[in-house]
Amino acid sequence: MIADWSHEVVLAATILSWFIIGAGLAQTTIYLLQLVVAGYALSERPPVARSALLWQRYGDVAPPIALLVPAYNEALNVVESVHSMLALEYPNFEVVVINDGSKDNTLQLLIEAFKLVKFHRPYEEALAHQPIRGLYSSPMTERLFVVDKENGGKADAQNAGINVCRAPLFCVIDGDSILEPDALMRAAQPFIDDPERTIAVGGTIRIANGSRIEAGRVREIHLPRRLLPLFQVVEYLRAFLMARLAWSSINTLMLVSGAFGMFRRAEAVAVGGFTKGSMGEDLDIVIKLHRHMRDTKRKYRIQFIPEPVCWTEAPETLSVLARQRSRWQRGALECFFRYRSMLFNPRYGRVGFLGFGHILVVDVLGPVAEVLGYILIPAFWLLGILSAEYLLAFTALIFTYGVCVSVCSLILEEAELQRFPRARDLAVLTAAAVIENFGYRQLNNFWRVKGWWQFLRGNQGWGEMTRTGLGGAKK
Amino acid sequence: MWYIWDLSILLSTLSLVIMLLLIARRLLQERRGRATAEQRRQVLTALIAFTENRDREALKTVVLAVPAGVAIDAGFEFIALLRGEERDDVLVAFNECGLPARVARQLRKGNIAERIHAAEMLASLGSDDASAHLLAALTQDRSREVRIAAAIALCDLGSLPLLGTALDFIGVAGQRSRRLIELFRRFPRSRFNELAVHASRIDASPFIRAAAIDALARAGGFGFAEFFAGLAGDASPEVAAAALRALGLTGHAQAPAILKRAMENSDWDVRAAAAESAGRLGLPEIAAPLSTLLDDEVWTVRYAAANALRSFGQPGERLLREIASHEVSRSQRTASLILAEGPAL
Repeated sequence: MIADWSHEVVLAATILSWFIIGAGLAQTTIYLLQLVVAGYALSERPPVARSALLWQRYGDVAPPIALLVPAYNEALNVVESVHSMLALEYPNFEVVVINDGSKDNTLQLLIEAFKLVKFHRPYEEALAHQPIRGLYSSPMTERLFVVDKENGGKADAQNAGINVCRAPLFCVIDGDSILEPDALMRAAQPFIDDPERTIAVGGTIRIANGSRIEAGRVREIHLPRRLLPLFQVVEYLRAFLMARLAWSSINTLMLVSGAFGMFRRAEAVAVGGFTKGSMGEDLDIVIKLHRHMRDTKRKYRIQFIPEPVCWTEAPETLSVLARQRSRWQRGALECFFRYRSMLFNPRYGRVGFLGFGHILVVDVLGPVAEVLGYILIPAFWLLGILSAEYLLAFTALIFTYGVCVSVCSLILEEAELQRFPRARDLAVLTAAAVIENFGYRQLNNFWRVKGWWQFLRGNQGWGEMTRTGLGGAKK
Repeated sequence: MWYIWDLSILLSTLSLVIMLLLIARRLLQERRGRATAEQRRQVLTALIAFTENRDREALKTVVLAVPAGVAIDAGFEFIALLRGEERDDVLVAFNECGLPARVARQLRKGNIAERIHAAEMLASLGSDDASAHLLAALTQDRSREVRIAAAIALCDLGSLPLLGTALDFIGVAGQRSRRLIELFRRFPRSRFNELAVHASRIDASPFIRAAAIDALARAGGFGFAEFFAGLAGDASPEVAAAALRALGLTGHAQAPAILKRAMENSDWDVRAAAAESAGRLGLPEIAAPLSTLLDDEVWTVRYAAANALRSFGQPGERLLREIASHEVSRSQRTASLILAEGPAL
């Protein structure tokens, strides 16, 4: 009887281990394939180094762009951010700041800094959003508009901005982000090269912690001095340079980051804009765009450009980072289940199979399988239920392949882009790419499983994102 | 399962070794970078001195003493700031130093970004064989972006083949690029007829036809008004809208009738273009159809129509006020909104 029971236990443990190792293997395979595709894409399309060249080349044919900046309690950064946005190098753009019912003095600071006056501007009420209390323009610059509205969340504010803006393209950015001066010109490039098919473009987000920032510009690039943002630099490299570039090159990009994304207004309106209350409104709108374009059988492209366009502040404390990661996880799950009918649906082609398949493996199953593996695989081995082979395979998938993927992302970066200014930075990042697999990765997965749990419990809170302000980065 | 472990060790070790090599390479580059910056400074100093003393030999000595790549980069940046005789003199010195040959090599062998840049530099340097190299790039390069850059450079040098032939070389995929608008806008007046022929070709892509119409309207002027009037009824909405906007720039005796007809078109872009042109031409005689467009289902059309009425001055504003005072409707709301546009009182 006991022998029968132990046989079943071994069988169950073996099946469970295979599931865990299989999920890890699938993730690792996806990452390695992404590396190969991204490497090819980068070698085929190296970035233009000098922005003066871009201006000379595209300045005359660059389409008008509206920069939408939702701001909620952004008093710390908003004036400096708007100044830096108004100084962007682009021939035809307007900045639309949407004060989403801030409780602090965000609006007052803007009114004072830019001498804003109330203004009537007719606009299309194409998307629903919370009521607008007033529109403001500035006698100092005709490029700036401020929308003051009742609080409705980021997506709601972005929808108000889409309604008010008049340009055929709009670009959403976070109020606390810093754009490179030529960011719009670089992001507009796909819309110039292929204006009929390109409907959205995402750009690389980089971490500004540690860099020297003056007057809303990143003047000197430095690595963060704290370990947590340093690990995030490696993470962002993996996410942007490897994953998004790879997916973009096969037109299966599922995420255009909310911190910087450019969209064609007509298509964004056609899909109903950003989904209000969504935890992952950036992922959500891209999925909606894919679905809309495939449903209407139109040719389209959603592209990613590897050039650095936007700098953001990464969380420096565990508690803030934990909230951010749990929220991202809930956002991914929410979108996955909301649009689950697209999964492996032949109607949606590679988006259904590869794009949704990727979300299933990496975001839905991945964290659960990995956290289960941390507990079960060593336990099974210690109890003598499984052989050391299983333990080694799991260790390889988590640690050694993890090191390989992180370091390979860094190799891509250095071989093709060389955006980190010093050799010493590369050495530090290489060390971070190794070390992050021992502790940080596990913590991240724990937060993601927590996000799973919150999703199951229906927790829709965003959690507070405490910021120190990018002006507080290294001076 | 051992192979998973073995392969992981192999791959991660390999990646670390490659990374270490890249770090070593970067250290070397850092050293070389300082030397390059110094050489670049020397070239720019020599160029500035040349603009003062026109000592070509002194400039050539400096240019030949630094790597060609450094001289090309610094030189190209510098000549973009120069005009007239000064620029011509620098170009002669560059040509005598053999820089165009180096740029031509970059056009053949560089990556895409380098090849596009090389095409632009060749057009600026304007060497004797620049056209031949650019023509080779237009006909043979595997990247459509490079082919477009070569076509623009050839146009600047006055050596672009017939438009139809050039577009064939650029390829169908390249014929969607807005860069072609730039190519068309650079067309010399003597070749406008080619643009007109292409704009009339119903087998050409609507995007290209619209771009050709736009270029003609900007530079061709009234001479093409009749041509635009003919295309205003084109079956392609994109072409018809472009022709209507062109008419808004040039004007035409039959413009009121043409625009009135276009305001009834089923495509909103055509209706909006007609309204915009009516406003630009200031045609109060078509205020009635414009006021009908205030009830259009598409906001862009309503806004264009309201703006056109407002641009008519007092008669238009009077009409808008009258509509705004009616019972609540889409027209009434559009008129009210456009009348209220501006600083709040």
